[in-house]
Amino acid sequence: MHTESWQSVGPTLDECIKCNICASYCPVAAVTDLFPGPKFVGPQAQRFRENGQPHSPDHSVDYCSGCRVCNEVCPTGVRITEINTRARAELAEEHGIPLRNRMLGRNDVLAKLGSIVPGLANFGLHNGLSRTLADSVMGISKGAKLPRWANDTFAKWMKKTAEQRLKSDKKVVYYHGCSTMYYEPFIGKATVAVFEHHGYEVIVPEQGCCGLPLLNNAEFPEARKYHQRNLDWLTPYARQGYPIVGTSSSCTLTLKEEAPEMLDMHGPEAHELTMAVWDIFEWLRELQESGQLQTDFRPLPMVLPYHSPCQYRAHRIGSPSLEIMSLIPELDIRESHARCCGGAGTYVYKKEKYQIAMDVGAELFDFVKEQGAEVTMTSCNSETCRWHIETGTDLPCRHPIEILAAAYGLYDLDTRDLV
Amino acid sequence: MSGHSIDLLVIGAGWSGLMAAYTAANAGLKVQVIAKGLGSMHWAAGSIDLFGYAPDAPDTPIHRPLEYVTGKLAKEQPQHPYALLGKDRLVAALDSFVALTHELGLSYGGAAQPGENLMLPTAVGAARPTYLAPQAQLGGDLGRSEPMVIVGFEGLRDFYPQLIAENLAKQGIQARAVLLPFDVLTDRRDSNTVQQAHGMDDPARRSRLISELKKLAKTGERIGLPPILGLDDHAAVLFDMQSQTGATVFEIATLPPSVPGMRLFKAWRNRLNKMGVRVDSNMEVVSAQSEPSSNGAGPSVHLVESATSARPMKHRAGGYVLATGGIMGGGFNSDHEGHVWETIFDLPLTTPQARSEWFNPVFINPAGHPVFSGGVAVNEAMQPLDGDGEVVYSNLWVAGDLLAHDNPILQRSLEGTAIATGFAAAKAAAAAS
Repeated sequence: MHTESWQSVGPTLDECIKCNICASYCPVAAVTDLFPGPKFVGPQAQRFRENGQPHSPDHSVDYCSGCRVCNEVCPTGVRITEINTRARAELAEEHGIPLRNRMLGRNDVLAKLGSIVPGLANFGLHNGLSRTLADSVMGISKGAKLPRWANDTFAKWMKKTAEQRLKSDKKVVYYHGCSTMYYEPFIGKATVAVFEHHGYEVIVPEQGCCGLPLLNNAEFPEARKYHQRNLDWLTPYARQGYPIVGTSSSCTLTLKEEAPEMLDMHGPEAHELTMAVWDIFEWLRELQESGQLQTDFRPLPMVLPYHSPCQYRAHRIGSPSLEIMSLIPELDIRESHARCCGGAGTYVYKKEKYQIAMDVGAELFDFVKEQGAEVTMTSCNSETCRWHIETGTDLPCRHPIEILAAAYGLYDLDTRDLV
Repeated sequence: MSGHSIDLLVIGAGWSGLMAAYTAANAGLKVQVIAKGLGSMHWAAGSIDLFGYAPDAPDTPIHRPLEYVTGKLAKEQPQHPYALLGKDRLVAALDSFVALTHELGLSYGGAAQPGENLMLPTAVGAARPTYLAPQAQLGGDLGRSEPMVIVGFEGLRDFYPQLIAENLAKQGIQARAVLLPFDVLTDRRDSNTVQQAHGMDDPARRSRLISELKKLAKTGERIGLPPILGLDDHAAVLFDMQSQTGATVFEIATLPPSVPGMRLFKAWRNRLNKMGVRVDSNMEVVSAQSEPSSNGAGPSVHLVESATSARPMKHRAGGYVLATGGIMGGGFNSDHEGHVWETIFDLPLTTPQARSEWFNPVFINPAGHPVFSGGVAVNEAMQPLDGDGEVVYSNLWVAGDLLAHDNPILQRSLEGTAIATGFAAAKAAAAAS
């Protein structure tokens, strides 16, 4: 027990005034009895997880989706999600981690394997029989949308187009994450196009999975290795003063804050990396503030429901995607105040949690429906959220960077390719 | 205001913060709200306490609070926020708030006799004075004579109808209790009033409860419930309940989380969004920078920084309203020696700075305790003052529970001062722009 330090969250426990705001806003507790709410499994149960207590008292903490809405609404600054994530890790240490969760935690390995023969991998995974088997044998929910492997990885595309890539004194480092690498290289293409549109040369260094799926599946020791790897690869760029910009809001949050904090990796290099990592729209907002944002937008006449995902809100940077997209003429953005799409990373892929994920998402899916039949697509920053929103709404969901690239006339939102 | 993209940055999203944001946006200012978390509206009963008890008569509720605070109180305590505001601004603020609640479809009202305090039942069956209350609470007015049936649900925490009815009966109010099975409300094993209220937004759930209420209510009886009459669709739920039972149905506020407060918060925030005002929580302001005096205007706030997952985020605005709340809200912090400070600007405080001076010797003390009436001293424009009576920052206004020279819990004046000072701070900021 207690291989993890509670130092960074422990003191905030004393700030809990038991006001129950977190329990009232928790999207999971709102739809199921299986999770009593953040206050109960967090600050309350934490009293029984002190040193010397043999067992973690509350197994229902496993049903926490890690969405961080509790942190967002807590009036006194208790770090409830961090308490719960650590409690999950202790549970895992005590009871072991199921094979399925080990697999979900290592989606980067799976993604890499599949990308060797993407056609076969897609066929193997995306058929009724294999999904039924995965559901009944592994407990991987049949209804949750799995991504398809792209024919070419993002890295291959970068290599292929190396000669066309812009060279410039202004340089930016792109952290694309696993999803862009293997499943959605078009997000990377749109991003590179936007960078270059602003006169930036794009450096794509060697990089690995941020480790968030491992953290969410309670594999802290492995996550520590992942973060160390990224520190080795990325910190040299941070030291040279390059901004390290990412498009996946969960990955950038993990690099900035979640990995160092959960894993107690507070060394100088972790701090250097934290200070160098930016969400792409956070970075674009800086350009805007210094008058360097390109504003040669074409009108995008459409209604666009936009959901700021939980992990994006957890950056605590406001809503730069919304601010920048608002500059696009004729784009009618409808901001969702839904607490969470329900998907919550690997949560929705767990059979026993699938229905919860759908019930949590209803708030957002209903919001999208209310915006009327003219809505043809939605927008969200996080990949797993986009896939879940597509399941729940039957509409395509695009990353805001795709929307922006389209507004610059660089990208086609239907074919998801550069123009 | 001075070429900023934001004219006024409001720090805090409780009663005073939202009132300041709403008032300033109405005056044409470009406003943004940032807050550490969601605040006081989620804790309080949802009604507007103007003034409940005077220090010299702690057991007798004030009958006509507006008259009292603009008359006797203003004379005796000229530094009290109400005294600084004066009657005109106080009345204008309350009127503006009531008009807003009508627009939001969450109308507030007062006692049958204008200017008087209402007496409403609490969740332990005591009588509490308040000045304005949501429509759904008005039916519980203890000044009315119809008997009550208080309806609770087995296993629903924080609401025990027997306790309420017995205590009301002791005060001469005709009341009886009924306990319904939990499954009238929900198939869940356990949930709080917020989740129940949300459930009632569903017409099918609603009709299940209505048919039970019809069975149990006697002719002429009022029906008192925990605050579960809808969350997003409250007006429709209340209407259905009253029209289909044929009885007055009312809510009795419970312990936090406050359903009436959450209804108002959600609708108010949405309204602000429509007015172009962003309201972001999870943005804790951790530092501030000021600029020295120029052109004789005195020092001013240059920017504030909020914590993010990485670098602090800078917020620049023409002016700033500080509405971070009191000890509960986090506007103050203290250490074990008793040193108390304002958390963002380290503004001068009137609060005693030694722990031995915080409290009077008697715990339940009609005079209150010094630590609770300490805070930021302001002038009539809600600008913070230092010990010499000089304005600290020319573009900073303070509202709500941070203010000195009142004791909102003891005096039952929290929402009244918050709304009125939020209103006044925004008006002053608008006038300065």
